[in-house]
Amino acid sequence: MHDPQWIIPGIVAPFLFTLVMLMIQQDSDGPLVLRAILGGGVLGMWGNTIFKSSESIMYDRRNGTLEPIMAALAGLNDVIIGRSLWNALVGMLNGLLVLVVAESMFDANVRIADPPLFLVCLLLTLLSLAAVGMLFSALFVYTRRGHMLSSMLEYPIYVLSGALVPVMLLPEAARYASFLLAPSWGVDAMNMAADVTYTHSITGGVFINLAMLAILAVSYYFIATALLIKIERDIRRDGTAVRF
Amino acid sequence: MEEKVIVVEDLRREFVLSKDGKRKTALDGISFDVNRGEIFGILGHNNAGKTTLIKILTTLLLPTSGKAEVLGLDVYPRKNEKPIRRRINVVMGGERGLYYRLTARQNMKFFADLYGIPKKTQHELIEDLLELVKLTPAADQRVENFSRGMKQRLHIAKALVNDPEILFLDEPTIGMDPEITRDVIALVRKLAVDGTTILLTTHHMREAEALCDRVAIMASGKIVAMGTLSELKEMAADASIVRITTVMDPYAVTLLMEDMEGISSVKTELVSGRYVTSVGVEDGRAMFDRLNTMFDGFDIRGIEYDDPTLEDAYLHILGGEGDSY
Repeated sequence: MHDPQWIIPGIVAPFLFTLVMLMIQQDSDGPLVLRAILGGGVLGMWGNTIFKSSESIMYDRRNGTLEPIMAALAGLNDVIIGRSLWNALVGMLNGLLVLVVAESMFDANVRIADPPLFLVCLLLTLLSLAAVGMLFSALFVYTRRGHMLSSMLEYPIYVLSGALVPVMLLPEAARYASFLLAPSWGVDAMNMAADVTYTHSITGGVFINLAMLAILAVSYYFIATALLIKIERDIRRDGTAVRF
Repeated sequence: MEEKVIVVEDLRREFVLSKDGKRKTALDGISFDVNRGEIFGILGHNNAGKTTLIKILTTLLLPTSGKAEVLGLDVYPRKNEKPIRRRINVVMGGERGLYYRLTARQNMKFFADLYGIPKKTQHELIEDLLELVKLTPAADQRVENFSRGMKQRLHIAKALVNDPEILFLDEPTIGMDPEITRDVIALVRKLAVDGTTILLTTHHMREAEALCDRVAIMASGKIVAMGTLSELKEMAADASIVRITTVMDPYAVTLLMEDMEGISSVKTELVSGRYVTSVGVEDGRAMFDRLNTMFDGFDIRGIEYDDPTLEDAYLHILGGEGDSY
C-alpha cells in the first residue's frame, strides 16, 4: 500500500472495464452482464496480484530490505509465498468491490446458478492467481525492471485467462497459451458455476477444470520455489541483492 | 580450550566487474578465528573487504575459495544456510534495510515473524528489545520520521529478535553523533557480557579500542595485522611521538636530528607563542632523556611522551595504504 499507484490496476481499470461493458449491455441483465462483472472482478484480482508482486520486490531492492529478508531464517521463498497469497486475497476484495458497484449503481441483478460451487471456483482461482504471482515474483527478484515487466504482463495474461472473452473464442494459438495458465481453468469454471447457459466451456465439466487448475497451480508453486532457490544462489554468488 | 565459533582459512572472494571478465579481489586469502564470547574487531579503510567478509559469514555471499565456518558449519552448502541463520544475526550499517512506512514495533514484528518467534512471546520480546535500545517512546512512530541514530538502534534491536549466539555488526556507529555512539558501544558491551559473540567491523579507532578483545587490520582484502589491542600497540612502539615545548626556536637542533638514527620524523609548530616539536622516534622511552638533553638550551617548558594508541598502530601498520578512516 506504500505506492498509491496500485489503485489504478487494482480498482480503477477493472471498474472502468465493468462500466464500459455494462453500458454496452443496455438491458443490465443476463449472462453478458455476469461476464462483464466477472471480467472486471478477475481484472481487479489479477491487476492487484501482478502489480503488488512486482512493487513489493522493487521496494525491497530500493529500500535495502531485500538483503535482510534474505539473511533471515525464513528466507525469500516464504516471504514471497505469504505476499502472493495476501495480494491475491486483497485482489478478491477489489473483485467484490466491482460487484457491489455494478449491483448498486447499475442495478445489474447478477444471478449465480450455483453459489457454493461458484465460491469454491472463486477461491481456487484466487489461489491459482497467487501461484502465478509467486512465479512472476521470482522473475521480479532477478530483474531491476519489475515495473516494466508487470505492465507488460498485465493485459496479455488477463486476456489469455478468458476473463475478457471465453478462452474457446480466442484464436487457436492463443488458446494453447491459455491452457497453460491456471486461472484460465478457474475463470472457465466460475462461468460454468454461475451460468447454466454458458456454452463456451473448455471441458464442459467444472471439476475437470478445477483439477487442471490445481495441477497447474501446484506446478507453478514448485517451479517458483526451484526458481527462487536458483535465484537466491545466483544472488549469493554475484552479490546483487543490494543493487537497484 | 576456548571454543572457536568462527573459523576462516585462506578465504578469497572475487567479483566480476564487467562482462569482459574484469575482476576485483575483495578478499585475498584471509585467515582468522573468533572465540565464543569474544568481541572481535575488523579494522580497515573503505574497500578493505570488511563488508564482503561479513556477508560471507552471514550467508549472504558465497566465497570464491577457502574455508569459512560459523558455529562449526561451512557457509557454502545451501543446507547449512538455515541452521546458521537461526543462530546468528547481522546489523548492516547505514539507513537502509527498514520498512519506513511501518512503525518501529511493526518492523520488529515483521522480522520476529521471519525468525519464527511465536506470536505469544513476540509482544514481550519486542517490548524488551525496544526498551534495551531506548526506543520505547518511539515504538509506534513510523521509521521514516526517525533520526539516523534511532534507525541504527532499531537495526540492532531487530538483530536481537532471535537471541543470536553471534552478532555481526557492520560499522554500527557510522554517521552517528558521539552521544548515540556511546550508547551503542555500551549496548554492544552489555551484549558481550551476556555471552553474545560479536564480530564488529569499523573504521573508528575509538570504537574498536573501547570494545574489542582482539582486532584484525585489513587492507586491500588482506589481514595485515592481528592481535589484542596491546599486541597491536606494541607493533607501533617504534612509531612513538615525543613532544617538546620550548620558548626558543629549536631549528638548529632539529636540523641535526633529521639524520639521527632512531628518529623517523621531526616537525616544529608555533602554538600560542611556544615552539612545539613533535619527534617521531623508534623507541620513545629510550629517546626521552636524550631529547631532553638536546633541547636543554632552548628553554624547555614541557616534554611528553605519548604511548601509541590503536590509531597510531593502525596508521603505522597500514603505512600509506589507508586512504581514509
